Amino acid sequence: MSVKSMDKGEEILAQLSSGKGWEKRSDGWWLETPDANVEKMAHLMTEAKARLVTITAYEVSNDEFRIIYHWDLEGRMLNISAMTREKSIPTVAMIHPASDWAEREIHDYFAVQFTGRELAPLFLNPESSPGIFLGRSQDDHKEGKGEER
Amino acid sequence: MSFTIPIGPYHPSLEEPFKLEVKCEGEIVQDAAMHVTFNFRGMEWLAQRRNYSQVIALVERVCGICSDLHTLTFSRAVEQLAGLSVPARAQYIRVIIAELERLTSHALWAGIAAEVMGFQTLFMTCFGLRERLMDILEIISGNRVHYAMNCIGGVNREISNPEAVLDIVKLIRQQVEDRLIPLFTTDRTIRARCIGIGVLKKEEAIKWGVVGPTARASGVSGDIRRSAPYAAYGQLEFNVPVETAGDVFSRVVVRLLEMVESCRMIEQAFKQMPPGAIRGPEFVEVPPGETVARSEAPRGEAFYYVASDGSDVPVRVKIRTPTLVNMPVVRSMVLGANLADVPLINASIDPCYSCTSR
Repeated sequence: MSVKSMDKGEEILAQLSSGKGWEKRSDGWWLETPDANVEKMAHLMTEAKARLVTITAYEVSNDEFRIIYHWDLEGRMLNISAMTREKSIPTVAMIHPASDWAEREIHDYFAVQFTGRELAPLFLNPESSPGIFLGRSQDDHKEGKGEER
Repeated sequence: MSFTIPIGPYHPSLEEPFKLEVKCEGEIVQDAAMHVTFNFRGMEWLAQRRNYSQVIALVERVCGICSDLHTLTFSRAVEQLAGLSVPARAQYIRVIIAELERLTSHALWAGIAAEVMGFQTLFMTCFGLRERLMDILEIISGNRVHYAMNCIGGVNREISNPEAVLDIVKLIRQQVEDRLIPLFTTDRTIRARCIGIGVLKKEEAIKWGVVGPTARASGVSGDIRRSAPYAAYGQLEFNVPVETAGDVFSRVVVRLLEMVESCRMIEQAFKQMPPGAIRGPEFVEVPPGETVARSEAPRGEAFYYVASDGSDVPVRVKIRTPTLVNMPVVRSMVLGANLADVPLINASIDPCYSCTSR
């Protein structure tokens, strides 16, 4: 990992976080900002020639999700997370097409809305309701934990 | 006259269920739409209801071809969370099994590609080689598909007969160099079916974040073993084959050359492997936190996100397999192609729908 690319990564994270709130770890750099501007992030990453590895949806509470964008910038992982509001977050698919299937998958599995785009079902049948597979409200997440072991 | 042809989800040209709807003008493909999901098993949901040791057995079943890769990546994620260091000998054993698995996968793919092209003799040759590889994996692990080699903190067993492994690897390398590469690269029928077919331009590969041999055949040189080395890859010398034409032929060449590199890596690993322990403590406490891990699967980068709340059950396991990011570009590969080439173009990314649906 060159100093140059570290600078590039730091520069991007600093722009997204007003210079604070991110940490360097052995598995990459992490930034958690509830109000992250994901569209700005996608623009900066695209300009930096970063590759979107995937997007993770993590159900936190009250039906809201932490959406983590995992980027590869010259071999280093940059993990940038933002929170949904009323289960919605802006799409970045128009800016970074590699997010297309990742967003559709999250919509199918968790019923998270990516605003500003059409979300054609990727994994579901057209007549199915999104969010039926992995959403916590559909399962016994708390109670069932110990029972299967 | 335009018409739409549905291929799949169950079709003789597909190894696994998947649906491709191609819109044609005459025999030329004008558009294509893909539908995946026919193998959904709720792997992530299940992983969030089992303890860490049980999840290893579960994620081994994400894929029937790169099963070791999934346990390796998940184990590495948990080791990172728990702050565990893996013994050096185990790191080399992990490389050996991962590369044997890559050889098995690429031999399988080469056979399927030959079969799709109607070259039955070559199909049998490739599958004959694959049988030898599966035999050696069975000798090592007791299993031909799910090897159960990885555990949190190391590996479950030694490779008790390294000479037998090296003999097979030597044979495979010789067969790939002397038979497969000349056959695949000089046969007139194969060249006619593969050269200039299903082109994926470098810009498209970058735009869609394509990974693995599919990306490397389009001039994108990314390989996690090189860019973010794990296990013992940082101690090994190897080349990352890259082609630039982006067609089916380039994908053939990249995978064949990768087989030679895998053989080289296994030979080096046996030479360099130090004596010592192969795993750490039996029980591991995983503190609260989150991490990511990725490994280079036969089809490209596999990614795991694991989050812990301090209990023995992960609160979130996210799995992203390489086919999920490679599949979207099949659409651009088949645009303008002859309908008869669609099954081969699709096969050329070495898709795994089971992994993709998981």
